[in-house]
Amino acid sequence: MKDLRLERDVQTSTNKIEARKVQVYYGTNHALKDVDVDILDKTVTAFIGPSGCGKSTFLRCLNRMNDTVASARVEGIITLEGENIYDARVDPVQLRAKIGMVFQKPNPFPKSIYDNVAYGPKIHGLTRNKAELDEVVEGCLRKAALWNEVKDRLQSPGTGLSGGQQQRLCIARAIATSPEVLLMDEPCSALDPIATAQVEELIDELRSQFSVVIVTHSMQQAARVSQKTAFFHLGHLVEYGETGTIFTNPKDPRTESYITGRIG
Amino acid sequence: MTAIDPTGAAGPSSGVTGHSLFAPDQRTNARNASEKRFRAYGVVAITLALLALLWLLISIFSAGLPAFRQTFIEIPVTLDAAVLDKAGHGDPKEMASVTTIGYGKQIAKALAEEVKAKGVDAGTLTDKEIGEMVSEDSAANLRNMVLANPKLLGTTVQFQALANGRIDGYFKGRVTMETAARDKNTSPEKLMLADKLRAAGVVVMKFNPGFLTMTDASDKRPEAAGLGVAIIGSLYMMFVVLCLALPIGVAASVYLEEFAPKNRWTDLIEVNIANLAAVPSIVYGILGLGIFINIGGLPRSAPIVGGLVLTLMTLPRIIIPTRAALKAVPPSIRDAALGVGASKLQTVTHHVLPLAMPGVLTGTIIGLAQALGETAPLLLIGMVAFVKDFPGAPPSGLFDPSSALPVQIYNWTQRGDPGFVERASGAIIVLLAFLIVMNTAAIILRRKYERRW
Repeated sequence: MKDLRLERDVQTSTNKIEARKVQVYYGTNHALKDVDVDILDKTVTAFIGPSGCGKSTFLRCLNRMNDTVASARVEGIITLEGENIYDARVDPVQLRAKIGMVFQKPNPFPKSIYDNVAYGPKIHGLTRNKAELDEVVEGCLRKAALWNEVKDRLQSPGTGLSGGQQQRLCIARAIATSPEVLLMDEPCSALDPIATAQVEELIDELRSQFSVVIVTHSMQQAARVSQKTAFFHLGHLVEYGETGTIFTNPKDPRTESYITGRIG
Repeated sequence: MTAIDPTGAAGPSSGVTGHSLFAPDQRTNARNASEKRFRAYGVVAITLALLALLWLLISIFSAGLPAFRQTFIEIPVTLDAAVLDKAGHGDPKEMASVTTIGYGKQIAKALAEEVKAKGVDAGTLTDKEIGEMVSEDSAANLRNMVLANPKLLGTTVQFQALANGRIDGYFKGRVTMETAARDKNTSPEKLMLADKLRAAGVVVMKFNPGFLTMTDASDKRPEAAGLGVAIIGSLYMMFVVLCLALPIGVAASVYLEEFAPKNRWTDLIEVNIANLAAVPSIVYGILGLGIFINIGGLPRSAPIVGGLVLTLMTLPRIIIPTRAALKAVPPSIRDAALGVGASKLQTVTHHVLPLAMPGVLTGTIIGLAQALGETAPLLLIGMVAFVKDFPGAPPSGLFDPSSALPVQIYNWTQRGDPGFVERASGAIIVLLAFLIVMNTAAIILRRKYERRW
C-alpha cells in the first residue's frame, strides 16, 4: 500500500477522503475487508475490479448510502477532511449534500428538467429566491454540458430525455448541491458509446472543481478518465496507485491478471 | 435435390425427421388442437359471464326503473279553515292538533268532488272508497304544507297527491283486475275509476324525484317510500370512512413499507393485515357493536358508528394496495432522492408517495366502493331500523339515526307489499349508479396521475 507515487502526490494535492480499516458486512457475509484508501481532492479516482469485488459497496460507504440497506454494517473509519463520517453526530442527509452521487442507471425524477436540478438546492435551502435558483440550475446544466440541449424545454419532463442526456441531468442534479466529492457508480454502463464519450469528457471537466470517484467495469474508461486507480478483488483492495502505473506496471499479480483479462 | 419446390409436393428430400414442413406432424396437431380447445373454453367462460351480467342488469332495470315513475292524482283541494283551524288564530301550534286523518278527509272530499266535476262515472263506489285511492301519506304531506304556511287556509290549492300503491301498481302492471278482486286493499271498481280518471287527466304518471329525496315509509305505503335518508346516511358514512381510512391507511402503509425494520413483528403485522382483509364483514359488525356502542357509548343506528365499523373493514383493503403501490416505485428513485441529500421523509413525501398515488387512490376508491355496498356489519349496529327523519347536518348529524343504501334495499326486500320489490330494485339501481361513479373516478384519477419513470 505504501506507494511512493501516492506519497509524492499527497504533497501536491490534499487528501479529501481517508478510509482506514473499512469492513463491510451484509449480514454474515464479509463483503469488504480492511480497505485503506486516500482519495485526493480534484482528482478522478477509478475503482475497478470484477463483479462482486466490493467496489460499489465501498463507493456507497463514502456517502453512507449503505445505511439504507438494513443488513449492512460498516466498521472502520472514513474521514471527510478529517471528520469521521460514521460519527454518531453526523447526519447522513448533510453528508450526502457534500458527497453527491450518480448512479448506474440514469434515474431522473419524473419531474421537469428544472425541478430535477432545483430539488437539491431547494431541500437544503441553498438559494434565497427564484432568481438565484434559476442561476444555480443554469450553472449546473452548463457544467453538465446539457444547457444548450435543454434550455428551451426546462419544464418538460426529465424522463423524456435520451439516456445520455438523462445521465448528464443526473450529474447536474448531483452537483447542484455544490458537493465536494462526486461519486459515480458505473455512470456509463447504460449508455451508448457517444453518450459515454460525452459523460467522460464531462468527468474530466468536473475534476477541476470536485474530487470524483468513479466505479467502472471498463478498464479503458478507467484509463481514459482517471488519475488514480484502485483495484478491488474479493473484498480486498489489492492495489491502489497512479492509473498509468496500475495499467502498465502493476505490482500485484492479481491486478495484472485482471488487466490482461485472465480473471474477472 | 437442388431445385427448390415451393409446393412441397415432391415431399421431403432430407432431414432428421423426414417430415415436410408443409405437413404438420402428429405432435403439432395435438398441440394445436389443445390450444384451440383452451381458447374455446375461454370464449365460453367469457360468454357465460357476460350473459349472466346482462341477465342481472335486465332483471334489475326492468324491476327497478318503474320506481322512478309514480302515479299522482292532481286535484284542487279546498283547505277548509273551519275544519283545519278550529281556533281560527292561524297559529301552527294550535293547528297541529288536527291530525292527518282530518287532512285525509279533505283530500277524499276533494277527489270525490273532482270525480263529479269531471263527469266521471264512479259506479258503486262511495266517497270514502274514492278517497282510498289516494295514498295515506298524501294527507301528511298536505298537513306539513299547511303547517309550514298557515296562510293557505281557506284557499283552494292544486294538490298533487300520491296515488295509492295498488293504483300505482295497476298502471305499472303489477296489479290486475283479478288480483284486485281478491285484495281487500283495493277493488276492480277502483281500478276502473282510476282508468277513467287517467283518461280525464286527473290521474297522471310521471317522473318521481321523491324516490331519491323522500324518507322511508311504512309497510302499507310503498308509494311514499324514498331513499333520502339512506342516501344521506351512506354519504355520511363514506365521509367518515374517507376521513379516517385514507390517512390512517396511507400512514400505516408508508410506515410499514418505508420506515419499519423488517423483523418478526412486522412480518406478523403484515400477515395479520392480509388476513384482516379476508375477515367476513359481519365480524366487524360484532366488533363495532361491542366496542363503539357497548363500550364507547355511541348511539345506535348512527352514521358515525357505521362509518367507524366500515373504516375498520376498509383499512386493510386500503393498506394492501397502497403497500403494493409503494413497493412498485422503483428503488432508483429512492436512491436518487437520498443521493442528493433528501431525508427519508422527504424522499417519501416528495417522490415515492406521488408516484404511488394512482395505486393509493384506486385502492382507496375501491375500498370505499366496497364499504358503500356493505350490509352485514350495519345490520348489527342497528342501521336496519326504520328511520323516518332526516339526520341533521354534520357534524351532529353523524350521531343521528340514519339508514344506508344497502340496508335500505335489504329492508325493503323484507316488506310484504309487492310495491317494495320495485322500490328495492330501484334502490339497487341507485347503488349501482353510485358505484359506477366511484369506479369511474378511480379510473380517471389513475389515468391522471399515472406517470412513467
